[in-house]
Amino acid sequence: MKISQKLWFQLHGWCSLPVWLIFTAVCLTGTIAVLSHELTWLFNENARALNPQNLPAKPVAELVAAVQQAEPTAAVTSVMVLEPYLVTAVLFTTETMPAAIAYVNPYTGVVQEINPGINFITFMRSLHGWLLFPWQHSYSVGYYLVSAMSLLMLGALITGLIIYKRFWQSFTAPKLRLHQGKKTVLADLHRLAGVWSLWFLLLMSLTGLWYLVQAVLWHNEVEFSYEVAPLSSLYVPAPVADGDALQKVPAMIPLAQAVASAQQFLPELKPAFVAMPEHPRDYYRISGYGDSIWFDQYSYNVWINPWTGEVADTRVPAQMGALETLMSVADPLHYGTIGGLWTKAIWFVFGLLVSGMAITGFMIWGSRTIRGAAGREARERVETAMTAPQQIPTLSRTTDSSAGASQ
Amino acid sequence: MTQQYQGLRQFWARHKFKLNGLVLILPFWFLYQSLNLQFPPALPKAQLGPYAVTAMPLSEDGPYAHHGEWVKDYYLQWCAGCVEKIRQGFLLVSDNEPDLASLSRDHSSLLHGNKHGLHVHARTPQQLKAGDKLWLIIEDWQGQVYSHHWVL
Repeated sequence: MKISQKLWFQLHGWCSLPVWLIFTAVCLTGTIAVLSHELTWLFNENARALNPQNLPAKPVAELVAAVQQAEPTAAVTSVMVLEPYLVTAVLFTTETMPAAIAYVNPYTGVVQEINPGINFITFMRSLHGWLLFPWQHSYSVGYYLVSAMSLLMLGALITGLIIYKRFWQSFTAPKLRLHQGKKTVLADLHRLAGVWSLWFLLLMSLTGLWYLVQAVLWHNEVEFSYEVAPLSSLYVPAPVADGDALQKVPAMIPLAQAVASAQQFLPELKPAFVAMPEHPRDYYRISGYGDSIWFDQYSYNVWINPWTGEVADTRVPAQMGALETLMSVADPLHYGTIGGLWTKAIWFVFGLLVSGMAITGFMIWGSRTIRGAAGREARERVETAMTAPQQIPTLSRTTDSSAGASQ
Repeated sequence: MTQQYQGLRQFWARHKFKLNGLVLILPFWFLYQSLNLQFPPALPKAQLGPYAVTAMPLSEDGPYAHHGEWVKDYYLQWCAGCVEKIRQGFLLVSDNEPDLASLSRDHSSLLHGNKHGLHVHARTPQQLKAGDKLWLIIEDWQGQVYSHHWVL
């Protein structure tokens, strides 16, 4: 069965028009989320890691110590090392702040801001990722809604390529007719942006599709990411029956030793996320980037026994299964972090183009529909007039107006 | 049936963009909710030897599936300086007092967090039965074991 051009065009519209507003909002929030770190740098001077004396970055443990000094009751839970121009985020709790973030300059060790919890970066990522819909433990309706947009984007991409005959000519002879009316400009812009964004649309669709698969896996309790088994009780120091309880509490190894052990074991590890033990049978988890730009900041892992300082377990991309690999490469590809600031800037520009395509697509549909509706209405009025002899004298005026409407 | 379907189609055709807009208002509501979290009332305060604790369920919802078992989340607020003195602790639903030695071979229902409070995914049957209690069992660094239960 041959599908007509008109039907392909309808299919193209069905892919995005019914949820046009949500689709556009997801595109726009994603575009902003790509540069959320840089926008934070721009608008919050406390988030900038200024380094006029060109000092080397301090070890993570020193930054944690700086936070402990600034907030003596703080219990540090984790540390996130961000881009070199941004502060290091030290996450902690106190009795009055259940989830605070200290912005620490990694070069000077100065605590530049104590943020009580939510910040622009997490807000934008959450807004884009699941529209802030609450998580019901293993799923969020918003996460499904947003990731399902990938199907529509893929559908719009495929049908768009079928509608647009010889689309590849837009690479060699781009056509943008600015003086042939609004509709022509919109259509040319839509097609031109679509062809030049082909790679980006495909990348967003496929990574989005992975997020949809991931949502289903999470929802169905399918475990595909690596979980390290907790320490055996045998490793935890045995209780001591006599003496004062607090004096008998054994000490874990210091964080600095844990990070040093991890880096010694895995020299390519560039720590980006450090988690403190949450109970005596837990580990120091040192995660980060490695020697591949394609994997995210949680892909190279070393777990350190907090009592002995020994490496308890490790996980690197070479050990990952297919789903775990997909999970680890999806974010860098989706958010364009693979090449740092430059790739993020490219992703931002193409994000704007795709958001613009959603808007121009809607405007093209709107102009056609309104014209079509006006034409239909005029035809109906003519038909009514034709079947009602007493109204014949008004026919000429009606046809005049219908002609005007279709122009 | 067909009329209903037609009606739905017409409604969707006429209002789809308004419905889209309504969905986009929801994030504002969710943001407000997340900034004004409401928790269920805490369970009566308990004393386990020298350690005082207040346990609070994190939601009114029933148990949910987590790592192959049904669990319900709780937050435990301990007396000042007490968390550091606890070697291990578990919170779970059981009809009889659980055995610490067998619990400590696994990590199900294990208390975790930091000195300001502990969190737990407490093993809870999907359907509670008569006689089920919520058990808290801890061992401190001196080897003393204490337990407490709340009747559910």
